[in-house]
Amino acid sequence: MWRYLFRRITLFVATSMVMMAVLFIATGLFPADKAHSLSGIQYPTAEQQQQIEQDYQLNDNALLQFTAYLRQRLSGNLGISSNSQQEVAGELASVLPASFELSLFSGFLAVFLGVPIGVIAALSRNKAIQHSILAFTLTGYSIPVFWLGLTLAMWFGVNLGWLPISGQINLLYEIEHVTGFMLLDTLLSDSTYRIPAFHDALLHLILPAVTLAVLPFTLVVRITRQAVISVMNQTYIRAAEARGLHTFKILIRHAMPNALIPVLKSIGLMLGSFASYGIVVEVIFSWPGVGSWLVSGIYQRDYTVIQAGILSVSLLIIFLSILIDLMHTAINPMSRKELYASH
Amino acid sequence: MPRIKIYHEDHIDSPMWRVWQSFSSNPFALMGLWAVIFLLVLTIFAPFIAPYPAEAQDQQVLLLPPSWDPAGKVEHFLGTDDLGRDIFSRILHGVQLTFGMSLLIVGASLFFGFVIGSLSGMMRGIKSSVLSHLLDALLSIPSLLMAILVVAVMGPGLQNVFWGVGIAMVPQFVRVIHQAVHEELQKEYVTAARLDGANSVQIFWYVIMPNVWDVVIIQTTMAISAAILDIAALGFLNLGAQAPSPEWGAMVAQGLDNLLLAPWTVTIPGVAILFTVLSVNLVGDGLRSALAPIRN
Repeated sequence: MWRYLFRRITLFVATSMVMMAVLFIATGLFPADKAHSLSGIQYPTAEQQQQIEQDYQLNDNALLQFTAYLRQRLSGNLGISSNSQQEVAGELASVLPASFELSLFSGFLAVFLGVPIGVIAALSRNKAIQHSILAFTLTGYSIPVFWLGLTLAMWFGVNLGWLPISGQINLLYEIEHVTGFMLLDTLLSDSTYRIPAFHDALLHLILPAVTLAVLPFTLVVRITRQAVISVMNQTYIRAAEARGLHTFKILIRHAMPNALIPVLKSIGLMLGSFASYGIVVEVIFSWPGVGSWLVSGIYQRDYTVIQAGILSVSLLIIFLSILIDLMHTAINPMSRKELYASH
Repeated sequence: MPRIKIYHEDHIDSPMWRVWQSFSSNPFALMGLWAVIFLLVLTIFAPFIAPYPAEAQDQQVLLLPPSWDPAGKVEHFLGTDDLGRDIFSRILHGVQLTFGMSLLIVGASLFFGFVIGSLSGMMRGIKSSVLSHLLDALLSIPSLLMAILVVAVMGPGLQNVFWGVGIAMVPQFVRVIHQAVHEELQKEYVTAARLDGANSVQIFWYVIMPNVWDVVIIQTTMAISAAILDIAALGFLNLGAQAPSPEWGAMVAQGLDNLLLAPWTVTIPGVAILFTVLSVNLVGDGLRSALAPIRN
């Protein structure tokens, strides 16, 4: 296991390096002065220019420039945003929690609703239930997320007026920024209106979270269904049935631990499209997260913001997918066989 | 006179035929196939069918509702948008941009992915893992972010969507094909063929590939639906197809201003995207379940 862990960490470092190299090359290709696209300072004074050239070693060869770039980025210097003139690292830190809040909430929604429905779809003998669940998941899988978001906003936000459709919280509430998670911040704040504010933040979260949850939900349902069907045909399930155990107990004790392994694996593979969808959802619902920050960065040709957004999201995806890979290996003894095999 | 059967022999269907039988016994998959064929025909002939040019504006009929609405006119079957452009014609012209473009992107990335994936899959050791892991890094950049990066470098436009989505899609093909080829390479029938004296090219093409094609086909259908959604999402974010273009995602974005007044300007292109992706997914699902008994 330690050897495997070590190999995964090496893979993480190597993949991140390649990712940074891609980003570095792309930065060089931006239609702007290199000093500008690296630091974000559009009209540097002579001193700043010298500082930038020194920091990024702009007069040396490409390899040295890349190492300088790595050093700057890894030490937290992401440059300044040429639009707001603020430190990009600070802006990133203020938008990341909102994205985490949204994606965690919809991730939980997808898993906690998706797994039981997948199990029902697998075990149900009723053709109508099976077909309707499959039809629903296939539609959910095919629906363009921006259109779904707009339609939900139209129905529930505008026509019915049940839910707010933009932002994280009503601007009337003044909530101190502590963790960045609005739900926690409202509870932590010591104002008198913290409970209504919490309620309001929760209402704001529902529509974006539901929109974002549709894709992972449908995938979780489909994969759970497949996995449960294949596990329930195994001989050890028949053995458990022969011993006279109750179906529910067989399901919980014997089938689920094995059926959830492919679900975990599929969550790892889904991260990329989940992030893509998250960006679109944030733009539609004006959610103040990385996605809308990044898209406004591209509209304004804010090169440092684009780099920081892509860097943070991709590093996060690399990290999470390797973490899920590790968890998968740790809880699944079957995959350890491959680990020690030579190929 | 019918031929007399002297010997009792069982007729064994070819694998292709069995896949087709299993596929066509699923009505939904067949429906999807018809829809895809319909879309393919439209991709070629839509400009000839469409009653109006994509950008023709008629100032007399702004925001006309679809024809089934009492206020609608049958000349503009699906209504018009805020510039008086016929939505039905724009949808037809958009088939080429959204669906045709996705086929183009998937075709190109399938080609490169196939070459790199099969090369790295046939190789062993460090060369193989360098080739495949190098692209794993690209795999971690979501397609939308990759497209944003390309747009940042090259500026927005439909041809840059081609590069953005294509670059994001190649690593997926490489990974899938690499894994499939690599897995087959370990099996005993390959060793048997090698002992018979087959060289690497023969082993690759005649021994391994017949068992990898199904993976390639399934991945291709998945890639087409993902590419349509990506093109539309980029059009919607105004990073892909630009304003007057009848690309479906861009049409949704252009309809946004009148969402409350004329919801059909957003609903109809959305339904078109949903219909296309759904039919591609139905075909993909049908193929997957038809190929499943062969793969196992």
